[in-house]
Amino acid sequence: MADLVMEAKHVYKTYGKSNKKADTSTALKTQVEAVKDVSLQIRKGDIKLIFGPSGSGKSTFLRCLAMLDIPDKGEIYLGDECLTKPGVDLNKARARIGFVFQHIYLFRHLTALGNVELALRQVLKLPKEEARKRALDALTEVKVTDCVNKYPAQLSGGQAQRVGIARALARNPDIILLDEPTSALDPELTGEVIDTLRDLAKEGTTMLIVSHEMPFAREVAEEMIFYDEGTIIETGPPLQFFNAPNTDRARKFMTRIINRTTREY
Amino acid sequence: MPLTLSISILSFLVGIAVGFPLAFIRVYEKETSFLVDAYEKIFRGIPEIVLMLLFFFGLGPYFPFPFNNAFFVAVFVLGLRSGANQSQIYRGAIHGVGNEQMIAGMSIGLSKWRSIWHIMVPQVFTFSTPGLGSEYALLIKDSAYVYVIFALAEIMTRAVQIRTSPPYDAVTPFVLAALIYIALTFPIAFWLDKWGNKRKKKIGL
Repeated sequence: MADLVMEAKHVYKTYGKSNKKADTSTALKTQVEAVKDVSLQIRKGDIKLIFGPSGSGKSTFLRCLAMLDIPDKGEIYLGDECLTKPGVDLNKARARIGFVFQHIYLFRHLTALGNVELALRQVLKLPKEEARKRALDALTEVKVTDCVNKYPAQLSGGQAQRVGIARALARNPDIILLDEPTSALDPELTGEVIDTLRDLAKEGTTMLIVSHEMPFAREVAEEMIFYDEGTIIETGPPLQFFNAPNTDRARKFMTRIINRTTREY
Repeated sequence: MPLTLSISILSFLVGIAVGFPLAFIRVYEKETSFLVDAYEKIFRGIPEIVLMLLFFFGLGPYFPFPFNNAFFVAVFVLGLRSGANQSQIYRGAIHGVGNEQMIAGMSIGLSKWRSIWHIMVPQVFTFSTPGLGSEYALLIKDSAYVYVIFALAEIMTRAVQIRTSPPYDAVTPFVLAALIYIALTFPIAFWLDKWGNKRKKKIGL
């Protein structure tokens, strides 16, 4: 059990409890049970992929893992540290978790390099030279080398998302959580981001990815997790899902998604 | 001209120093934001001329060091009033920059206030420029009030000398005026807030 990187134990998260906290996407519904009794274990070097209908709570679950959303109930472990106990330094914990957003959320006032450097300088407190070197290394790894001094608005979607990955990668996190990293991109740009993820997979990076890129999933994922209505419906190796899912819901979803030539949101 | 410029520039700077932190407190420290709200309503609800006279004649006799100076009182009142206005401008800008930027900041391990410092603060000014321009124009115009204090000070001092009565007699009307203005502006501001919040909830903001 020593190689357990992250674990979720019976996590619950409901939105719209107090009306004040409801976020834009869920404000119209009164109560959304985005995460219901979800448990998950991720070991070092694991690549797991979560997929399922939109609005089913996958993103919320991912945010709970990074403690960007605080779960209502249940426990999140990073290594053997319980993050859901009161008094835990969440900032320190988040520094060890890389997070890649669907809509990228690069810091608009900083260059690509500045985006990657910020955490190295301000969180890891590295000296200037070393931070720059590591940031450039991370940007090289995601193959963004010719536009390190450009601002996010000047980057293509694919470049921006690769910078987003570099930002998560540069501080050598224990795990990288990726929330639909390609679904906000034009189809022709998803390829370059997928290539980057494939490279990371080869290097043994521990990743939990929300994605509907099925060929990619089949290639790199050790385990696929079908998530619907706030909970895990079925878990198994990719072949299980591609050949014969055990549950009816997963089967229906797979049929729908495979029959599409392009991506599913 | 020099007087107008120096008053407006100084009070604008006071406004930044007061309004900028207040905006962040109002957005990110929900527990204390009601204090900021009260401050804003008071300084936006009472006309600056009433406030100036109140500070000049009300506090001047007791704290002559800063408050017996018309220039200081003008900068003080206009600065605090501008702080209340600018707080609103920055608050809009914070929402314009968007909470996603904060979340991204926290995702790389920055604390809430360090995310605010490294990510929100540099962007908020860019988003605020249109509002700040019109706020500065207001200050230029309102700096003219300082002449009213100058003129009134002369007259009032003489009146006080003649009647040899204590100065707070002169103050009571200003306090009353301030209270009446508050009574006039508060209910409308309060009702607008309530209505706005209800609407926002309805359309999912």
